[in-house]
Amino acid sequence: MEYVDSLTGFRLDGRRPNDMRQIRGEIGVVAKADGSALFEMGNTKVIAAIYGPREVQNKGQQANNQALVRCEYSMANFSTGDRTRRPKGDRRSTEISLVIRQTMEACILTHLMPHSQVILIEFLVHILLKFFMYFLPKICFLQIDIFVQVLQADGGTRSACINAATLALADAGIPMRDIVTSCSAGYLSSTPLLDLNYIEDSAGGPDVTVGILAKTDKVTLLQMDAKLPMDIFENVMQLAIEGCKAIAHYIRGVLLENTKQLECRRGI
Amino acid sequence: MVGLSAGEKHFIYGGIAQDLRTDGRQRLHYRPISVEIGVIPQANGSSRVRLGATDVIVSIKAELGRPSSLHPDKGKVAIFIDCSPTAAPMFEGRGGEELSSELSLALQRCLLGGRSGAGAGIDLSSLVIVEGKVCWDLYIDGLVVSSDGNLLDALAAAIKVALCNTGIPKTTVNLGASPNDQPDVDVSDEEFLQFDTSGVPVIVTLTKVGRHYIVDATSEEESQMSSAVSISVNRHGQICGLTKRGGAGLDPSVILDMISVAKHVGEQLMSSLDSEIAAAEASAEDQ
Repeated sequence: MEYVDSLTGFRLDGRRPNDMRQIRGEIGVVAKADGSALFEMGNTKVIAAIYGPREVQNKGQQANNQALVRCEYSMANFSTGDRTRRPKGDRRSTEISLVIRQTMEACILTHLMPHSQVILIEFLVHILLKFFMYFLPKICFLQIDIFVQVLQADGGTRSACINAATLALADAGIPMRDIVTSCSAGYLSSTPLLDLNYIEDSAGGPDVTVGILAKTDKVTLLQMDAKLPMDIFENVMQLAIEGCKAIAHYIRGVLLENTKQLECRRGI
Repeated sequence: MVGLSAGEKHFIYGGIAQDLRTDGRQRLHYRPISVEIGVIPQANGSSRVRLGATDVIVSIKAELGRPSSLHPDKGKVAIFIDCSPTAAPMFEGRGGEELSSELSLALQRCLLGGRSGAGAGIDLSSLVIVEGKVCWDLYIDGLVVSSDGNLLDALAAAIKVALCNTGIPKTTVNLGASPNDQPDVDVSDEEFLQFDTSGVPVIVTLTKVGRHYIVDATSEEESQMSSAVSISVNRHGQICGLTKRGGAGLDPSVILDMISVAKHVGEQLMSSLDSEIAAAEASAEDQ
């Protein structure tokens, strides 16, 4: 199968090799969450919701002097072309959860949130109540939960999830070093292709997923399957990084627009 | 979980007793409903319904299957509901499974009638292509994206909207030479048949908080409920199903009273849903 038309140079869905699919981000889609966002890359559509920072639920998981970041990735039954009912927590989603968690952990300033301020108030009450009694100061550690839900899967779900999580984290007001964005690139019909869709993804060619910290230009996520010669890999990765930068530019615009709206609502 | 202080609880109880709830609604008022159709392009029909901060997506897929030997003249419909962890952190991992299956069963009971398929909201015999051989299997998948109480009503409304939006591909059948052969079924990509959705009921959940009952409870109100009765009502004012949740007992006369209220509220809900569907269809055609 020819993935790039040899005459016109267009891909199957009419894009040029270094074109991205249409992207769209929306903030505040889940009313009850502390932060939430929807991110679309073409037909791939994901929702991310952030709960936290809140008290660590499972005491065994708490880390010292930094907030705990957790992530769960789930796919809706109707997200893929064939209707499948998959069990929760299969290997693929566990792996993607882990990838997203590690990528987001790299940008969240976890050391700023070792324990909560609410506890400080509780602490004072504690002192007042038990003035004469012996007590141990209670320290509560914090966790941040990132939940991503895939509504439509058409290739590049992990990139879309990371982009959605970035938007949602920013919406939740969680301190971050920088915004992380992710994009994939592949190599089919001897052409580096940006942002593979499902058909291109399942062609079996190499698929490089890159996540970068946009401002500092650091790579926080890099995954590739299949094989590529070194010099071509460099080109493909460079293409993916360009994609990440374009997404970062867009996300920054969405955040700015959202902040302006918030400002407007406060009457500033 | 909703954590409420004693003062907040008192405020909710007092408001309901005085017919002015915390969000300004009366006891029998729904939150504004917003409806979108065709949100999942790869499905045969889909909808997204928002009821205040409750947000659900329903997709309907039709697949060719074989009718069960007990009911060769009827198609099959299955309802699966999933609670996404985005709706509440307690749905993480397997945490949402209990609620998911409770909702799926309640919806099945209210929409699909008895085991024989009699009294179903959807005309199951319209799903049969060749009697005893081929039929459409309808898979109704619901996803709770955001939850702020009253999930059952929102899901039932979303299923009703999605069924209105569902197109079943037209089929042509080439019967095999001998009657025992599996017939060849050609599925058309272009022509779709619409469903008759006039018989699909809506569900009205009446939640008892204190001495009164309310419709469309938010999660704060639900946390204070003693019991809840979900009644599914169709267009003709018939009761299609009933589910009671919650531990407290109810006087039979109260239940009868609730049913008559639900019938009345159901009519209003149905008409507001109809106008929302018409508006959604019009806006979908514009695009």
